[in-house]
Amino acid sequence: MKQRDLKGPHGTTNVVEETVRNPNVMPSPYSPTIELVGVSYGYGKDLPVIDDITLSIPQGQWVTLVGANGCGKSTLVKLMNALLPKGEGSIKVKGLELQSDTIGKIRQTIGMVFQNPDNQFIGATVEEDIVFGLEGQCLSIEVMEERVKSYAARLGITDLLYKHPSELSGGQKQRVAIASILSMEPEVVIFDEASSMLDEKTRNELLNILSDMHKSGRYTIISITHDAQEIAASERVLVLHEGKLIADRTPTELFQDEKILEMSHVIAPFAFQLTRELHRYGLDISIPNCEKELMEALWPLHLRK
Amino acid sequence: MSEKLLIGRTIDTGSWVHSIDPRAKMIAMMLYVVIIILSNTWLEMACVVVFSLAIIALTRIHIKYFIRAAKPLWVLMLFIFIVQCIKVVDKNGAILLSIGSWNLYVEGFKLGLFSVLRMVFLVSFTAILTFTTTPGRLNQGLEGVLKPLKVIRVSPDRFTLMVSIALRFIPSILEEAQIILKAQASRGADVRELPWKEKGKMLVSLLVPVTVGAFRRAEDLVHSMESRGFRMGEPRTKYHSLVWRSRDTIFIGFFIIMLIAMVWMSGYGTGELWTL
Repeated sequence: MKQRDLKGPHGTTNVVEETVRNPNVMPSPYSPTIELVGVSYGYGKDLPVIDDITLSIPQGQWVTLVGANGCGKSTLVKLMNALLPKGEGSIKVKGLELQSDTIGKIRQTIGMVFQNPDNQFIGATVEEDIVFGLEGQCLSIEVMEERVKSYAARLGITDLLYKHPSELSGGQKQRVAIASILSMEPEVVIFDEASSMLDEKTRNELLNILSDMHKSGRYTIISITHDAQEIAASERVLVLHEGKLIADRTPTELFQDEKILEMSHVIAPFAFQLTRELHRYGLDISIPNCEKELMEALWPLHLRK
Repeated sequence: MSEKLLIGRTIDTGSWVHSIDPRAKMIAMMLYVVIIILSNTWLEMACVVVFSLAIIALTRIHIKYFIRAAKPLWVLMLFIFIVQCIKVVDKNGAILLSIGSWNLYVEGFKLGLFSVLRMVFLVSFTAILTFTTTPGRLNQGLEGVLKPLKVIRVSPDRFTLMVSIALRFIPSILEEAQIILKAQASRGADVRELPWKEKGKMLVSLLVPVTVGAFRRAEDLVHSMESRGFRMGEPRTKYHSLVWRSRDTIFIGFFIIMLIAMVWMSGYGTGELWTL
């Protein structure tokens, strides 16, 4: 593979570019953040929930995990964080093999945001909730104060710090959950259908947060979602079907493949659907990344008429 | 449902009592229990009333909240009062009221009234603890007060974690119960309109989904806690640590003085003059 000059402190931009083109090829100086080899998990041999999954995710990449309900997406991410007992195969996080003695360290590297914003709220106030994880890391009061302040500001929840969860909306609770996770400064953040219980507006807010996190280059993001917009914004899509990894591609490639879309129960964004229809009518337009791009491609056609 | 729940609700007026260390408040409440048990004469009871009202005034919380805190217990209080009136047979004592062969003795009436007064003040006054302290601080205080239990290998952290999770989830579970009740009502099974026997049956059918829901929540919560690196018994730092200040000692001081006064009054029989 061609070695390039690396920009930025982690060289993320280039690593990401390379891996999108060919996710299986890793730039040699960077070991993958997450590496799964032959991972299987299930209740007995006949009922595998996860069936022989091998994949690697480099640092800084934004990966979405899609698939029909019950295909094992949540199980897979929970295995990465040792929230479920270990199955077959090996899981490595930052080069550290997941074993009973490394669980603590690995959980410090991976932060998880879950689906139900109510059930992951541990503290009696927003501040207590953020601090819960920090206390476990045995940080000093000064550091904790600083983190609470900076991460609350980053997620726009400074005014809510002393509020009880019952006083918050779903979107606000989800912001608190993200602040609680980010304040622990993990390198990998997993979103387990974090946007599924949110309304359209809050979902867009969450998407902006994810984009900002990705741009910062500090986080490797794994997101389980059914939301086409979120999938389109990510760099790589892993498709799970009946516990097996059936596709590993870019969002654009995924949206073009009707068979995989069908299997993963994902609906392509409007711009993709329209382009596909137009192709059927013989119009030659390149695949757009968003609606605006499609509009840009369409209006010159009108002029040509 | 949660509107009526006064237990565990903090009413913030920013008073002096609000700023007292929760440990001090807990110790003070224990002393108050002793004080109220020791008050046997009218004079002693009068002193307790004045003292209690003075402390209540210090909290700057309207007295109606304290009265409301004791209100749910009125049936129990009435029961205790009646039992005391019927039970006490003081052959040589004065009779207050005579209905047929049954006499209401002054002593019985006094005992009944005292029991009710004690109960009213105990419940209303100890509400100061929850009215003036947030659940989080209350829990920290509890951990502090329970620390001596470490000697007999009972872990106060484990206990207080349990309490804090319970306090955090009681409103959520009540809310869920309400939703299920409404869901049942929307399908034509309105609990309010059913006879008592049917109501009982309906409550059982409510209990199952609520319990299942609670377990689901518990699982989610465990995952959330574990993914944030929580492991039982592992060392943790404290974000809010309690600092004992002179005002806390002064607060307890009030109660100690009151207790000494009580012991002195009952010991020297000063109150005898006031006894009915």
